[in-house]
Amino acid sequence: MFKHLLTLIWNKKKQNLLMIAEVLISFLVIFALSTLIVFYYLNYRKPLGLEYENVWVVSYSNPLKTENGDSLKLFYKDLLNTVEALPQVKKTGFCSNNIPFYQNTWSGSLKGNGKEINNVDNYWVDENYQDVLHVKLISGRWFTKDDVLAKQKPILINQKLEKELFGKQSALGKLVDEGNRKIIGVVEDVKAKGDYSTPKVSMYMKVDTGSWHFIQRLLVKVSPNADAAFEGRLYKTIAGMMKNSNLEIEHLVDKRKSINYFSLVPMIVSLIVAVFLIINVALGLFGVLWYNINKRRGEIGLRRAIGATGKSVSSQLVSESMILATLSLVIGTFFAIQFPLLDVFDLPKEVYLIALVLSILFIYLLVFICSLYPGKQAAAIYPAVALHEE
Amino acid sequence: MIRLQNIEKVYRTDTVETLALNSISLDIAKGEFLSIMGPSGCGKSTLLNIIGLLDIPTKGEIKIDEQKTDSLSDKQLANFRNKKLGFIFQSYHLINDLKVLDNVELPLLYRESSAKERKDLASEALGKVGLSNRVKHFPTQLSGGQKQRVAIARAIVGRPEIILADEPTGNLDSTMGNEVMDILLNLNKSDGTTIVMVTHDENMAKKTHRLVRLFDGSQVQ
Ligand SMILES: Nc1ncnc2c1ncn2[C@@H]1O[C@H](COP(=O)(O)OP(=O)(O)OP(=O)(O)O)[C@@H](O)[C@H]1O
Ligand SMILES: [Mg+2]
Repeated sequence: MFKHLLTLIWNKKKQNLLMIAEVLISFLVIFALSTLIVFYYLNYRKPLGLEYENVWVVSYSNPLKTENGDSLKLFYKDLLNTVEALPQVKKTGFCSNNIPFYQNTWSGSLKGNGKEINNVDNYWVDENYQDVLHVKLISGRWFTKDDVLAKQKPILINQKLEKELFGKQSALGKLVDEGNRKIIGVVEDVKAKGDYSTPKVSMYMKVDTGSWHFIQRLLVKVSPNADAAFEGRLYKTIAGMMKNSNLEIEHLVDKRKSINYFSLVPMIVSLIVAVFLIINVALGLFGVLWYNINKRRGEIGLRRAIGATGKSVSSQLVSESMILATLSLVIGTFFAIQFPLLDVFDLPKEVYLIALVLSILFIYLLVFICSLYPGKQAAAIYPAVALHEE
Repeated sequence: MIRLQNIEKVYRTDTVETLALNSISLDIAKGEFLSIMGPSGCGKSTLLNIIGLLDIPTKGEIKIDEQKTDSLSDKQLANFRNKKLGFIFQSYHLINDLKVLDNVELPLLYRESSAKERKDLASEALGKVGLSNRVKHFPTQLSGGQKQRVAIARAIVGRPEIILADEPTGNLDSTMGNEVMDILLNLNKSDGTTIVMVTHDENMAKKTHRLVRLFDGSQVQ
């Protein structure tokens, strides 16, 4: 019977082209969409890499009219002590403005192990950063106060950068940046641009005397019951010390929400577009199948007359659709695998692979559902009536 | 082997009611060659469809081999049509997207058979109707008479006990018609196939065992 159906399909290749094309196009759309969804989902499944609850971010503009690093350092040390003395504050730390969940980025290249890696996220942080955000240390240690004395400036890098620079080797103790910097620790990758993002290669440098003039963020880890009243008090305390500064306090919880929303928007938009497309395709498929069956009433009547059961007629029609879908999917898969093969969008290969499998299953399901009802209708055609109409 | 009792068939459309068959009772014995005649529209095709269990009578009963047929399941009906019946339709009903050979193989697809068996039997049937040189053609590439013969080959390929032929010679010239008639007569004589044939041709009817005349749905002879 299978060979018979193949013959039938082959002999009608012209009529079947329309359906093959329709399924092919919908497959490609579904593939694109599921690639996006799978990519987001796999990212979402990975750990965030830090603890953002109850972390507030104080942004300020530099209030002092001096570029003198030492006096700046003294001033900020004083500020930090004052804030930490507040009852609801657990820990505070200074850092550059490319805080996780913010749109700001700060990147540069890093040389090491005979390679140069571009687009490395540079985070300027102090020794408290770890206690505020709890970035997970994989090996080595975090910054300490004594790090200023070191001959080679200590840095920490994330696992992704460690892998790119040193492969399977440990990066600990390695000198990079032409011997100017020493890796003292490796931290877990952080999804800095929200839950659906992929972590970038990153390095952490310690805020030093020379960097105080561009540091304009203070992270404050507060206790869970810190409320708006306390936020007001914090604001007033800092404002009291920074007379001419523009102050703003934001919560990392909110920043995470908004950056997640930001990355979800394109997905939601394409999802809506895709749903409309799928409905369209489903209706189109349904229409083509319905039309085919009505055109083939005579054939159906004949098959019944020579010994086909209603069931075998409907399963024949469903099988024909499935075979046609298979043909489309073979062509579609050929196009789809070009993406991982040519590495078009710099996505992990598994994303494409999972998306491919999902789209194939989806198309089969769609075609199956769309052909089920016309197939059932065909089975109900009364042989004598169908034969009479011809 | 086939017994019709008081068969009545009414076609209802929105506006009209047609009494296509009116109280037909008919006994067809095994091995009999029966012909049905009557003017156009008198119900011949309808009667043939009812005998072949393709259509259900509005009233009356059909027994095949002493067995009632009104309670047969879809599967049993399909099996009966496939194994016991060979249909030759007035308008051939060939599948235009299948080659002649594939068309003839069709009934065998619905029973257990190997590809080789099907091919051999279909070629043999096509040989009997003199179309061995047209197996790779599509029906649209054939003349009316040739299509008629493909339809006959398809009806006999499964070696059915009963052949129901609706004007099998209607579209053929007299030479061709006689050849087809000879094929049917031969099947009847050598294989004992029971044949019910609708015809407009008195000469053809004379060659059969018995003639039934219909007029306006009623049996007049
Ligand atoms: N499916 C149907 N619906 C409604 N009326 C029908 C249907 N089939 C047949 N009829 C009517 O039943 C009557 C008998 O039709 P049938 O086809 O049996 O005639 P016939 O004797 O075979 O004629 P012909 O010699 O022209 O083939 C006709 O009046 C026809 O219009
Ligand atoms: Mg007729």
